Amino acid sequence: MAAPAVARFLFQRVALGALVIVFASALTFFFVNLAPGGPASVMRFDVTAEQREALIKRMGLDKPVTQRYVEWVTGAARGDFGTSLLTDEPVTQRIGERLPNTLMLAGAAFVLSVLLGIPIGLIQALRRGSPLDHVLSFLSAVGLAVPVFWLGIVLILIFSVSLHVLPSAGVTGITTDTLFDRAQHLVLPAVVLASTVLPTIVRYMRSAAIEVLHEDYIRTAESKGLGPRLVVTRHVLRNALVPVVSALGALVPRLLGGAVVTEAVFSWPGLGRLALEAAQGRDYPLITGLTVVAAAIAVGTTLLVDVAYTRIDPRVRVA
Amino acid sequence: MKLGLHTILLRATSTMLVAALAVSACTSTTTPPGASTAPSAAAAGPVSGGTVTIPIGADPTLNPWSPNAFVESLFINRAIFEGLTKPGKDLAPAADLAQSWTVAPDGLSWTFKLRSGVKWSDGKPFTADDVAFTFNDIVLKPDLGAQNRASYAAVKSVTVVDPTTVRFDLTRKFAALASFLAYNAGILPKHVLSANPLTTTTFNKGIPVSTGPFKVEKYTSGQSVSLVPNENYFGPKPFLDKVVFTVVADPNTQVAQALSGDLQIMILDNKAAVDRMKSAAGLVVVARPLVQYYWLSLNQTDSRFTDVRVRQAFVHAIDRQAIIKSVELGYGSIANSPITPALAAYYDPSLASKYPYDPAKATELLKAAGWTPGANGVLQKDGKPFQFTMDVGQRGVLEPVNALIQQDLKKVGVVVDLNTMEWNSYIQKDVVRREYTATVNWWTYPSDPDVFPYYHSSAAGKGFNIPGYQDPKLDDLLVQGQSASDLESRKAVYKQLQQYTSEVLPYLFLWYPQEIDVLSSSLKGVPELGLRDAMHYIGEWWLAKK
Repeated sequence: MAAPAVARFLFQRVALGALVIVFASALTFFFVNLAPGGPASVMRFDVTAEQREALIKRMGLDKPVTQRYVEWVTGAARGDFGTSLLTDEPVTQRIGERLPNTLMLAGAAFVLSVLLGIPIGLIQALRRGSPLDHVLSFLSAVGLAVPVFWLGIVLILIFSVSLHVLPSAGVTGITTDTLFDRAQHLVLPAVVLASTVLPTIVRYMRSAAIEVLHEDYIRTAESKGLGPRLVVTRHVLRNALVPVVSALGALVPRLLGGAVVTEAVFSWPGLGRLALEAAQGRDYPLITGLTVVAAAIAVGTTLLVDVAYTRIDPRVRVA
Repeated sequence: MKLGLHTILLRATSTMLVAALAVSACTSTTTPPGASTAPSAAAAGPVSGGTVTIPIGADPTLNPWSPNAFVESLFINRAIFEGLTKPGKDLAPAADLAQSWTVAPDGLSWTFKLRSGVKWSDGKPFTADDVAFTFNDIVLKPDLGAQNRASYAAVKSVTVVDPTTVRFDLTRKFAALASFLAYNAGILPKHVLSANPLTTTTFNKGIPVSTGPFKVEKYTSGQSVSLVPNENYFGPKPFLDKVVFTVVADPNTQVAQALSGDLQIMILDNKAAVDRMKSAAGLVVVARPLVQYYWLSLNQTDSRFTDVRVRQAFVHAIDRQAIIKSVELGYGSIANSPITPALAAYYDPSLASKYPYDPAKATELLKAAGWTPGANGVLQKDGKPFQFTMDVGQRGVLEPVNALIQQDLKKVGVVVDLNTMEWNSYIQKDVVRREYTATVNWWTYPSDPDVFPYYHSSAAGKGFNIPGYQDPKLDDLLVQGQSASDLESRKAVYKQLQQYTSEVLPYLFLWYPQEIDVLSSSLKGVPELGLRDAMHYIGEWWLAKK
């Protein structure tokens, strides 16, 4: 594809993405302000009306919501997402502290899901109708049905409480912080989070591969005497990956959603748990900041997938 | 929306975990609720060394007066900051930064003699200026909205008499001042916070300057806060090398961590796991007293509830023992007044059996109040059914308790509709706006019988007097309690107050809960207090060598 076309394509997508993010921030800001309660009412039960009024004033919540949003957007344009109402820390700092943890967890879960999901789906397609296919399909269905929190607790009971082989919570140990230590802490939450998308990847891969296996070019390749391994890797895998890759982009928001529960169960200090804290405390600037980050991740991933799409399938061209 | 989902998930998680734990529980000890199973003192004396890990639910704010210093902050703040007084092991106020205090004959000023030679953790001397700064420039400044400010409504100002003496001048007598100064009233360093006392992030979320036996070593957001001994501490060096507060939001994960040996002490919020904890090797389960009681508030702006016979009938109709048994698994006792058994010097045990569960008596009282059964069995008066909505905040045990109360009241012909709400919305509706008919909640207060803020007419409608109950006789008793200076006269007043409140029922008293603490069997020296109070004595904790 020509360089100007790529540049135009990227510019259009980035501009559209920015619009989506601004829209998401506005929607979040106004909706969360409509929710009953407020940061000043989540304070302890025994806070007097006088104290509440003082807090409302200090947090600037006595101003109209539109004015507060305009102030927020103006600040955000300069990279200042405001101050957390509950901790008085800059929102960017709070998000910045947690973002790497979520990226690590979601990244590990994503890689795990892809590394397992694609081969499993492919095997199922190649062994379509066999007992192995049925067993794997059943396990996929179970995987889709099992709630994340339940799986998390069960794994903690098995691997942490009974077998004492893996830690039950946190990113590092109390006194240790080595790469091995971090990896150990990552295992259970990554497996649990992977369970939210793995079955979907398996299913997508299975159906895509089955479809490809029926294509004429597969028969042509086979009739030309190409070995089964080469047929699978050169033709089946490559062509089946096209719809799967586009599905992977759509799975990122689901992964972020799953991270909320996974992080709560494993006390993983990431954006998901921060989002829960922010929602519980009606921390408007923090909630909005988190929405922007989540939207940016989703938009960015979609863009990446679109680019990857053009690489995997040469038939796809930038218009 | 997110909250609702979270609550549902946590509840479901809780149920699942309990089921899983029940399956995995092999044996169960038969320790009766309330019996102390505290680790006996080791034969050898205390030894130094070791790390104790304690779970907290969220990131703390390391400033006791910050409006954001929620419950998770209490643990750490009590370990690092010191007040003029602290709760004694008998819960009476004991010396801390103040070594003694005297009350003027008119009761309108208190003079505190401060401990000399105390230093802040940064090496600067602690003086009376710090005390005056904490109160005059933080607590008494209405625009700052300091936590617990309402407890000091009677304090006019604090004056520095000399570098080791301060005087509290009051607008009225306030016998509970020393008790209130023992609870979350840590003194802050003037030399660090004079420019910005409550929102200095490097202090609140970093390494604060403090006077306690431990100081903060490292604050890792979302993960942990670690403490190490404060080399400038005026008292004996603590035994522990390190104390780590680890952020574990989910109570079920806390249970799992205690079972896997990652935690040394915790409050067991999920009482359903108590048997599993008791049967676990290396853990000890103990019940501790709490200065807390649950209540049912009937809004006094509703004419149906201003008739005391109706309130008394409701107490007879609610099977409170069944609530304690099913919801608290027996860890609690029936309440009939605001003074809890934890305040042993004041508590009147004779009231415990005042309102036995007696639906027939309830029906009789309701009949006397003009409520008679209609054709459908629902009580009627002037052609209107006895039906109302009870708002339920989603927190702790409130949901099952409300359901039990609903069933009990139905048995005597009263229809209760439950309106379950997310906590923040609930506070806004029921506490801030007082737009409710009936609701269940609880009070926790400093270890002193002065309950003025919760019962006085002046707090009706806008303060902590949630039902909006107004009664000159009760007001008089509350003022007498604040004016009585010696223990015996206070005992006499508060005995009267207990008897009177149990009769007129400003709130319908439900039960006094107990706290269940889980400790590693190697952890010694923890006093028999609720865990948050025991934090004041963390310098005395030690770990026995295994």
